[in-house]
Amino acid sequence: MKMSKVYKANIWGREGCRTSRSSLAKGVSRTITTMDSNRLSLKAGSLPLLLLLVSNLLLCKSAASLPVCPSGAANCQVSLRDLFDRAVILSHYIHNLSSEMFNEFDKRYAQGKGFFTKTINSCHTSSLPTPDDKEQAQQTKHEDLLNLVLTVLRSWNDPLYHLVAEMRGLQEAPDTILSRAIEIEEQNKQLLEGMEKIVGQVQPGVKENEVYSVWSGLPSLQIADEDSRLFAFYNLLHCLRRDSNKIDNYLKLLKCRLIYNNNC
Amino acid sequence: MKENVASTFVFILLLFLNTNLLNGQSPPGKPEIFKCRSPEKETFTCWWKPGTDGGLPTNYTLTYHKEGETEIYECPDYKTGGPNSCYFNKKHTSIWTIYVIVINATNQMGSSASDPRYVDVTYIVEPNPPVNLTLEVKQPKDHKMYLWIKWFPPTLVDSRTGWLILQYEIRLKPEKAAEWETHFAGQQTQFKILSLYPGQKYVVQVRCKPDHGFWSKWGPESSIQIPNDFTMKDAVWIFVAVLSAVIGLIMVWVVALKGYSMVTCILPPVPGPKIKGFDTHLLEKGKSEELLSALGCQDFPPSSDCEDLLVEFLEVIDSEDQQLMPAHSKKYPSQGVKHTHLDLDSDSGQGSCDSPSLLSEKCEEPWANPFPFHTSEGIEKPESPETNGTPTWEPQSTGLEGKMPYFHAGGSKSAWLLPQPPKQHNPRSSYHNISDVCKLAMGTAGGSCTLVDKTDTHALKSSKTTETGGEEKAGEQREVESSHSQTDPDTAWLLPQEETPFISAKLLDYVEIHKINKDGALSLLPKQKETSNQTETPSTPETSKEYAKVSRVMDNHLLVLVQGPCPQNLALFEEPATGAPSSLQQNQAEKDLASFTASPSNCKLQMGGLDYLDPACFKHSFQG
Repeated sequence: MKMSKVYKANIWGREGCRTSRSSLAKGVSRTITTMDSNRLSLKAGSLPLLLLLVSNLLLCKSAASLPVCPSGAANCQVSLRDLFDRAVILSHYIHNLSSEMFNEFDKRYAQGKGFFTKTINSCHTSSLPTPDDKEQAQQTKHEDLLNLVLTVLRSWNDPLYHLVAEMRGLQEAPDTILSRAIEIEEQNKQLLEGMEKIVGQVQPGVKENEVYSVWSGLPSLQIADEDSRLFAFYNLLHCLRRDSNKIDNYLKLLKCRLIYNNNC
Repeated sequence: MKENVASTFVFILLLFLNTNLLNGQSPPGKPEIFKCRSPEKETFTCWWKPGTDGGLPTNYTLTYHKEGETEIYECPDYKTGGPNSCYFNKKHTSIWTIYVIVINATNQMGSSASDPRYVDVTYIVEPNPPVNLTLEVKQPKDHKMYLWIKWFPPTLVDSRTGWLILQYEIRLKPEKAAEWETHFAGQQTQFKILSLYPGQKYVVQVRCKPDHGFWSKWGPESSIQIPNDFTMKDAVWIFVAVLSAVIGLIMVWVVALKGYSMVTCILPPVPGPKIKGFDTHLLEKGKSEELLSALGCQDFPPSSDCEDLLVEFLEVIDSEDQQLMPAHSKKYPSQGVKHTHLDLDSDSGQGSCDSPSLLSEKCEEPWANPFPFHTSEGIEKPESPETNGTPTWEPQSTGLEGKMPYFHAGGSKSAWLLPQPPKQHNPRSSYHNISDVCKLAMGTAGGSCTLVDKTDTHALKSSKTTETGGEEKAGEQREVESSHSQTDPDTAWLLPQEETPFISAKLLDYVEIHKINKDGALSLLPKQKETSNQTETPSTPETSKEYAKVSRVMDNHLLVLVQGPCPQNLALFEEPATGAPSSLQQNQAEKDLASFTASPSNCKLQMGGLDYLDPACFKHSFQG
């Protein structure tokens, strides 16, 4: 078919999988809408188109490991595998930092104060529909999972910024905690960028709404009472540790699923 | 009536309770949850420790509620985890959620609850050890052999889907060794070990760790025997090594038997030095004097025994022809002086610049014999010193810095000369020390003797310069001068008591200070005048030996020595003294002299030039 020839040529073309897939997706969506309108009748040309789309997706995945582009090229495409590798490294690193930061803060400021008992149900991202165990995560579609990751990352932009700002004013904040906070803020931005690239590759052309959870804990970070203020920090660090673990776990799942086909 | 019932009821209740207490029964103690673990981040188990059971059968229940929920649940499985445990299966496990868990212990008497434990499964992951550890020794052709270790991840962990990423660590050791060799293997499930000892049996273990969790326990040991790595090449080398060792031994044996002749064949002996007229046998037997006489050398070297060099007394002659002669030493044998060594009679008594320094460096022996300073009538030379006020011994101004003879008298006020007992004074051969000499000299010639005070060097210098009328004296030169001006305000008599006319101010001749004995007598030897004239070269201080002449005594404790016209070494004897020198009284000076103690350093006399006398030489002489 004429259409199929066009698409086939585009898979290995310069543009790579992204544009071919996006155009294929457009074609399929058009087919589907026409299918819907006609409901039960399948157009004759839609089936091969569908087959083509599926094969494209499958082939594109393997072709997604195209060689990494040389640096400096303008419209270069880093392969999905490399993007995921990088994203996983970042998320792993961020969680390590948050964990260490939390432990240090706990050791230094929160001993014997029973803070942990009060942190129940206090994270601003707990309302997000994130999967809570392996089965749920495996049943979530990768696009949704990716979007969830993006949402969580975006929800942390603001709190991280304020965390760093307020921590500078924290009495006798050890350098290690502050430096880690600064590092996490920076790496979070990078991870967000990388995720957006990944989403751009995996879900090209889909423009999702920028959803994120609003954080309203700033006043509690600036409260006069020292103990309450410390608890506000403690709580924020606890939530950060948890969410960074979530993101890390989801990305590793996605990487094994999308790149290695569940055969890590 | 009612009151009676109530009180009896209470009484019975109390009785009942008391009887139970007497039986030892009580409500259970508080249990405690001590561990919660998840092996794969999908299920978890909690274990608790019961408290006292109160003597009654106690029932334990676990209740919990989750973060964000209000409902309280009970433990779904008490069995799987063993006794006193609760196992939460996949259905009941939520990750990233806090569980609030409480144990209730109940018995007949009552119940007690543990403290609530907050558990988040995310942070309690500890997997089981890896399984199916296999070992294999691989020996590729022409390559070193290695140990190939392979294992599998623990069964429950799902690493394929990426839910839990594991990292591994292996350790191995030879069976009998004490320390393990650990290697980190990352995420791979195999490993190669290259550094192996052949012929040993190795044991290997492996463990794993999730990406954010705890290390597992070490897996079961697996052992393997490494075969001996013995190739033909090795055999050849061993054979060669053994052969060469045998040959080496044979050669050594041959050499040992016929060594000398072979050696002389290869390396002819080097001829020894031969000196004409030198009898080596004489040297071996040796009286050195015989040997040296064979060589045509007189009076050289002095014997090693310091005491042998002791000259009992010195004659100071005031005429030019007169010399300081120790010729009278034989008249005073009471001191036990051995003077056989010194053939001083042949010595005309005149000081000689070339005379060897008689003060050996080993002069730490006590000076058994007094070191008399014998002055004869001849030592009267009032005129010339007085007129010019300068001693005949010119100090050397150049090149002598650091070569000034001086005493290191350890900070104590001690003179290196002790007053001689008066009874030994004798017109012809009396024992005097320098101070005596000085005194005598001063008495006759109006000069003064001073022992130069170390601390007063500058003062002395200046005074000296003034006294000597502008003689050039370079910085650190200290001199013992005999200034012949009686009106010198700085001068003081060192030794007082007797004045003998023997010492003349005309200390024009050179005296070699031979020794100073423990009594403080200065043993001087006349210098050879002839040789001194011949060798008088102002420009070579090192080659000639210098002997100091006591020119005068200053300030009761400064002995100003003047160097002879010969070589430029200036003998300067100084003594550290506290207090202003000028204020010393005679008695004080005596005390100073009497209490001389020298620092225990070695004599630094140089054979080539008498730079200074180190009081250490005289240490023993002056003790007490």
